[in-house]
Amino acid sequence: MSRQHHRKQRFKLRSFYIWHRYMGIGAALFALIIAATGLLLNHTEDFKLDSRYVNSDWVLDWYGIRAPEKLLSFAAGGQHVTLMGEHLYLNRKEIAGEFHDLVGAVRTHDLFVVAVSDSILLLTPRGEIVERLGDEDGVPAGIRRIGIDQRQQLVAESNLDYYQADADFLKWQRLQQASQSVQWAPSGAPDPRLVLSLQQHYRGEVLPMERVVLDLHSGRFFGKAGPWVFDIAALLLMLLSLTGTWIWLKRRR
Amino acid sequence: MFKNLTITLYLLLAGPVALAGGTYQTPDEFLKESFADTPPEPAVVWLSGQRKTVVEQILGHRYPTLRIRYWRDGARSAWILEEVGKEQPITVGVVVNRARIERIKVLVFRESRGWEVRHPFFTDQFKEARLNDKRQLDRHIDGISGATLSVRAMKKLATLALYLDTVTREQDVTSAP
Repeated sequence: MSRQHHRKQRFKLRSFYIWHRYMGIGAALFALIIAATGLLLNHTEDFKLDSRYVNSDWVLDWYGIRAPEKLLSFAAGGQHVTLMGEHLYLNRKEIAGEFHDLVGAVRTHDLFVVAVSDSILLLTPRGEIVERLGDEDGVPAGIRRIGIDQRQQLVAESNLDYYQADADFLKWQRLQQASQSVQWAPSGAPDPRLVLSLQQHYRGEVLPMERVVLDLHSGRFFGKAGPWVFDIAALLLMLLSLTGTWIWLKRRR
Repeated sequence: MFKNLTITLYLLLAGPVALAGGTYQTPDEFLKESFADTPPEPAVVWLSGQRKTVVEQILGHRYPTLRIRYWRDGARSAWILEEVGKEQPITVGVVVNRARIERIKVLVFRESRGWEVRHPFFTDQFKEARLNDKRQLDRHIDGISGATLSVRAMKKLATLALYLDTVTREQDVTSAP
């Protein structure tokens, strides 16, 4: 009786031990992911996860993040001013801020003049903002296109009239008619390599690393079934701790 | 009864949010008010060389543009300046008279908190303030609980206006770098 009972007990313990091992192996990968991402999330600010962005193409593709296919670009002074989504670029240099409605860009003297977001943006050739002029600075409303005259001064065509800015862009004067010599800003598609570079830059500023780590931690990164799989892994880890404790107690006896 | 209670609750909750931000005065109106309806022609100061360095020291970062527009009539000058409070820029009008602040006013406030800095009980503290030898305000400005970042932005802009007023009187500031 006693020997049979002991044999049963040993068989039971061995069976538990085998299950314990399988559960351990099954949950190991998930435990590693959960622990590693948990550590990262506890130190989001230290690792700057909220201000760094994912550049990996396959991760961005996995999230379905695409750069806008439509972009508007103007050639000026041998460079391109391009609006992609709400991002404005002078060649590959992104201009700080959010923008909409790019109307034109010209180069006059040492400055690039960009008509965007119902305002006039003055840029250095390095893409630094010299000044952003709005209606309170005399910029006419509803600018449809901009150009430069033979004296290299800016001319803007609004819905109703033509306007000319002085050399310092401090005063705007209404014109009866635009001179024939005005060269209006021509829009045109930039070099495909530039477009590709801008699209990569655009995509690289959309997905914060914190979001990916959070999704890895919860399992959402792996699709709709991900959270369920991670739930099962969590249950396995709970069972693992229980069976581990139980086996340890039984062996002590 | 229930409807009245709902409206009261809505007003109580939405009131502070509605007060929180917006345009209190356009820059144009501020200038007209400051110069008896006839503001002088604008001029510009380029932030280059030493000026750029000092402005960075005052703000703790670069000013978002390379040149700043101002209006001067004799010893009086007016400035429309911007500085980020927490996340959004606060637009402030400052009038400097004989190197002292004559008035400072919040024109546009875009943040959801800290809008108390627009009230005269706060802005009146800046009246007659000037810069000391360390390019700091010569007096203590009391803060407002819950509006620390907005208060800090206002102090920076007051200091910046006083500094720019000084350099535009003493240096040639009209040339581009």
